[in-house]
Order: sequence, then structure tokens, then C-alpha cells
Amino acid sequence: MQGKKVSIYDPALCCSTGLCGPVVDPVLVKVNDAVLALRKQGVEVERFNLAQQIKDFTANTAVAALLHNNGKNILPITLVNGAVVKTGAYPSYEDLCRALEIEPLRHKPMTLSLQ
Amino acid sequence: MIRAMNATRVMNNHVKVEIPSINKQRYIFFSGKGGVGKTTMAAASAVHYAESGKKTLIVTTDPASNLADVFEQEIGHKITPVKGIQNLWAMEIEPDQATREYRERIIAPYRGIMPDDVIASLEENLSGPCTTEMAAFDRFIGFMEDDGYDIIVFDTAPTGHTLRLLELPVDWSRHIGQAAAGSGQTCLGPVQTIQDSKDKYDRATALLRDAGRTTFIFVMRPEELSLYETLRASKELETIGIRATTLIINGILPEEVCGIEFFRKKYEAQQQVLRSTAEAIHTPASSMLLRDNEVKGLPALRSVADELFHDRKPSFQSVAGPGALDSVFLEKPDIERLWLPGHTSRPDNSGAPLLAGEKTKSLFFTGKGGVGKTSISCVAALFNAQQGFKTLLVTTDPAAHIGEVLNVSVGAQPVNVADNLDAVMVDQKAAFKEYKEKVLLDAQGKYSDDMLAAMDEELNSPCTEEMAAFDKFMQFMESSEYRTVVFDTAPTGHTLRLLELPFDYAKQVEMMAGTGDTAAVKESTQNRFKKIIQTLRDRERTVFTFVLYPESTPLLESYRAMLDLRTAGIETQLIVANLLLTDRVCSNGFFRNRQKMQMKYLKEIQQKFDLPVLGFPLMQDEIRGFELLRRATALL
Repeated sequence: MQGKKVSIYDPALCCSTGLCGPVVDPVLVKVNDAVLALRKQGVEVERFNLAQQIKDFTANTAVAALLHNNGKNILPITLVNGAVVKTGAYPSYEDLCRALEIEPLRHKPMTLSLQ
Repeated sequence: MIRAMNATRVMNNHVKVEIPSINKQRYIFFSGKGGVGKTTMAAASAVHYAESGKKTLIVTTDPASNLADVFEQEIGHKITPVKGIQNLWAMEIEPDQATREYRERIIAPYRGIMPDDVIASLEENLSGPCTTEMAAFDRFIGFMEDDGYDIIVFDTAPTGHTLRLLELPVDWSRHIGQAAAGSGQTCLGPVQTIQDSKDKYDRATALLRDAGRTTFIFVMRPEELSLYETLRASKELETIGIRATTLIINGILPEEVCGIEFFRKKYEAQQQVLRSTAEAIHTPASSMLLRDNEVKGLPALRSVADELFHDRKPSFQSVAGPGALDSVFLEKPDIERLWLPGHTSRPDNSGAPLLAGEKTKSLFFTGKGGVGKTSISCVAALFNAQQGFKTLLVTTDPAAHIGEVLNVSVGAQPVNVADNLDAVMVDQKAAFKEYKEKVLLDAQGKYSDDMLAAMDEELNSPCTEEMAAFDKFMQFMESSEYRTVVFDTAPTGHTLRLLELPFDYAKQVEMMAGTGDTAAVKESTQNRFKKIIQTLRDRERTVFTFVLYPESTPLLESYRAMLDLRTAGIETQLIVANLLLTDRVCSNGFFRNRQKMQMKYLKEIQQKFDLPVLGFPLMQDEIRGFELLRRATALL
């Protein structure tokens, strides 16, 4: 599983887990669930929160350019192995598996289909 | 010469507050419930150290600070030399200003590099309650790193708040460790910034625990509630590894002025509390006499320092002086209209819950700690219950003592305390546990075990705690079971933050990605906050009452708090001037001086607030237990 890597650049969030707001954000919880599953499958997943790690948003040229040209609504930006696969919304677990060319886990996580 | 003897009769182990050696910088914290005279003691100590040749800084972390009033000069959010004295500097940490500075330090490097909307969203994100707490704490810790002074005196915020502040470094360093190991995220701000600061927080915690460098001084009043508070607070401090080393009991009635029975009884009651205190708390204690005027300005502070450090008691005029005071006429406010729900439509109220179309009335009591807010809110609640309105009394004070006033144990679930009257306490820790369990129960079966484990950890953050308490608070406001809900709110600064939360949260919710599941959650949350905000602003449904006693500090603090509420669109509707000395009890010069001082401030209250003022007399006994509460309610 070498060289499999997902990078998610989140909008400014209190917490990327979706747990630390006035209410639990179900979308973010699902993303987090996907991240945990991917990690279990040996995929390296990194996440950057605009509110907390601005430096990383300027360090990645593709992300910096997208952000510069489109503003904050382009977030979240998801990269698979360095290439942008989705902007403006989070990909589903299945989308990520497809882009990574790996089989989704059959049993876990349990509910990953968004919509 | 009785005067030098009376206070030491019980507390004869009068201990001078030790002068620290100057080889290492020392920190002195004054802790205690608001209104016990913390600021006076801190300022007098600072004056004492400065005049003994130590380079001294006095810092207040209290959002409603009155350091400027005590020194009679502007201080503000910067280190300011104190006029008329060598070696003394002062600063008032202003939470909003500290937040702005903290935020700017993070954002500044990205201005011009990032598009404007990104900068704006960063700014907004770094304006939440977590950032405010973080920033104030960061500033506070900054002083512990500063080695430019021999002694730094902290005039800390009221007990409950102080403890939270001091508990945070412990929580935070644990939280940061976990976050770095896990998702790399924390809800406290930029992880890089926090990581850089982790060592700093650990050092601060170690310093707080180092009895050789840090002294904790508890200040209390010779009252049972105050003793109870102090015991609670010192136990909580001990659980985080900090021991208070000195106790100051402030405001002891000089025996020679307590000629009449009313004060003689009060004097005896105080002496009884002094005895219980000596039994319960074994740290050295200093007794400080009540004065016949306010402590303001350097000469008065020097006199307090003389008593505190050299046991030189002031002398008082105990003889009958000339009468003829300027009395102030208080027109009795329309308490029925303000404190009772609209009841014209229903002659029979006997404990019935809300009918369709009726709205719950919310009464908020606020003001500096120690002004009798708890007692007055209990009075208002009982008043409602006696008129037949089903009433819930809620305390949001982290150091709650409603249970002490009602003489029943009040917990996280409403308990019935009298006909038509229930009481409940919003305990932040308990609310947090409940909230966490609810979230985890919801998640069970939906997510993987890994996710559940991660959630379990992530939920352990100070922000979640605040969130949970606020959630609870709203539930009571929304309750349709009661016709009146009375909130005995936390001390002023804290209250405001709590009440500002719905506004912050509403903003935060707007920022959530509005797709799918999130959109539905977002909409219902926003509607909920909108409703709460509307209710808070509706003068018919919500009444804010400020409780104070007529002295400079409570007056100024309440006034600032009232303006703060106004900026949030909330108008205060009533002032309760509590602990008034009646002519009947002012039989000598000492109390007439104090009464004169009260009259001066009553006048100022009328002019400054331009609101109805309800006068409430100083009672013979502290309101404890139901019979006394009933008697107090009968005074309305």
C-alpha cells in the first residue's frame, strides 16, 4: 500500500471531527469515519484545517492557487496522491476508494454513503 | 482599648503575610468569591510590597475589574505605572482586547497572501468562545514568564471562574498531547500555535504548583456561605495539586461599634463563623475589620496594608454622632408586572402548567458575586410560587449555593422545594457528561468502533463543556412545564459570556457546510438560537434584574454589565439595591458613615441607571432555610 495518500484541506472549522460545534455535524463525522477506515487500510491521510493550519494551505501550490483564484468556497479540497480529485464538497468513502484504486471495506465503516 | 483585641479573640494566630525573598520572582494569587474584598487585599498587598522596595506588578484577570477604581486612575489593557508610588505597576487584562491581539498574531502573516474571504473566515473562526478563553489565558501565562518583577500579584476572577481558568492548563496540555497523536486537531486554535505553547503551559502549571514560588491567598467574609464557598474552592484547588497557604477573613465588625442588639447579634454570628472557620481550615488566617468607608486611593490602601501586615487595627468612631442624613426616596417598583407572568387572563393559577398560547416568563438575576443575588432570586422564585405560578429556579453559578439558601440539596434534575416551586442546578461537569453520553449514544450503530473511540476522546475538550452547559441552559428557557423560570446567574463577566454564546453559536452554525444532513441540522439549530435570542430581547417575556449593594465597585461593575447587555439588544428592567442600612439600626457614627456612603451611591444608582430601584434592607440573619426566605419574601 505504499504511496497511497489522501490530503484533505478543510474550510475553517472549530474541529475537523464535527464534534466541537454547537451541534454535531453529521457530514464531518462521516468524513472522519472514512478517514479512520482508510487509515486502517494503510492509506496515509492528512487533514488541514484552515482555521488552524493556514501555513499548509500556502505550502501546497495547487491548493494555494485554487484558493487564491476562487476564494474560500472552493474548500474543502481533496487530493489523492497529490492530484486534486474534488473541490467544494467532501468525497464519499467510496469515491476515495475508487480514486485510490482500492477495495472498500465491506463491513466498516457502516454508514458512509453521503445522500 | 478593646478595639485591638476583638478580632483576635478567636483568631489570635494573626499571621503576617510573609514577605517573599527576592531572589526569584514570586506570584501571589488572591482567590475568593466576588465582593469579599479581593481587589482591596491584592491592591493593599501590592502597595505594601512596592513600598518595601520590591518591583511589583498587579494584574487583574477579572473581566469586570475594578482595579482602576481602587487606585483612582485609568489603567486598562497595558502595564501602567501607579501614580504617587514607586515600584508599582498595574494592568487590567481586557478579554476582548486580548482576543484581538491573539487573533492578529495568528492572521497577520497571511494578510495579502490569502484572499480576503479566507482572511475574513479566519477572523470569524477565531472569534468564538474558545479563542476568547485561550487568548485571556495566553496573556495571563505570559505574565508568569515575565521576569521583570520581583512580585506579581494577581487579583483573580471570582472563584468558580478562577478554578476553571486554573484547571485549563492541565486539561489543555493533556488535550494537546492527544490531539497531536490523533487527528492533529484541537478545538483551541491553530495546532501549531498551541504546540509551540505547550511547554509554556506545562511550565505555568508547574509554577502554579510550586509553593516556593506561588502563594494562593483565599479571601472570605465572616459568613457561613462564604466559608462554605471557600472550603469548596480550596478542595477544588487541591484536586489539581494546589494548596492555599493563607486565608484572609475580611469585613469583621469591630466589637466596639456593635452596641445595639441588631449588630450585636450580627457580631456574635460572625464570631461563630470565625470559630467554625478555624476548625475547618487549618491554614494561617488574618482577620480584617470592616471599615466605615470605602477603601479607595493610596492612603486608604496603606492603612489596610498596615492592618494586614502589621496587625495595626484602625480605630472607629463609636459614639453617637449628629443625625440628619440625606435620605433617598425610592419609589416602589411594580414588582408584580416585572416579576410575575401576565396573569390577567387566568385568575386561577394554582400551579397549572402553561396553556396553549401562554409563554414562560424568564427572570434573570445578575450582578457581582456577594451582593445577595442568590437570595434575591430565591425571593423572586418564592414570590412567583406563592402567587400560584409553577416556578423553576435555575442556578448557572459554577459555585452554586442555592441549595444552601433553600436548605435542600439541589442537583442536575429539578427537585420540588415548596408548593409550585422546583429548583435545579446547571452543573457544567454533569451537563458535559450528559451531553457526551447523548452524542455517543446517537452515534452507536451508525459508525465504526474506531470512530466511536475517536469521538469519545475528541469530546473531552473544554469547549464541549461550555457547549453542554449552554445547551442545558437553553432547555430550561424552552421548558413549557413552568410559567416562570428564575435564573440565578453566574457573576457578571461570566454571565455575559454565557448569554453571548447564542450569538456566537448562531454565527458558527452559519459557517457549517450547508449540504445534505448538515443543512437540516443547521436549519433547526439556527431556528432554535433565533428563538432564544428573540426571547431574551422580549421585555414582556424576559426580565433582567441587577442586584447590587450601594457601593462604588458593585455599581460600576453592574453599569458596565448593563451596557454590555444593551449591545446584545437586551435592556435591563430593574435594579435591586440590597443590604440597605435602615435608620433604625444606624445608632452610631460607624454605621451612620456607612449609611451615608450607601445614600451617596443610591443617588448615583438612580441617576446612572435611570431604572426602577427596589430597596432591600440588610436582614438580621443570612437567608438560610425556608422560614427566613419566607420572611424575606414578605418584605416585597
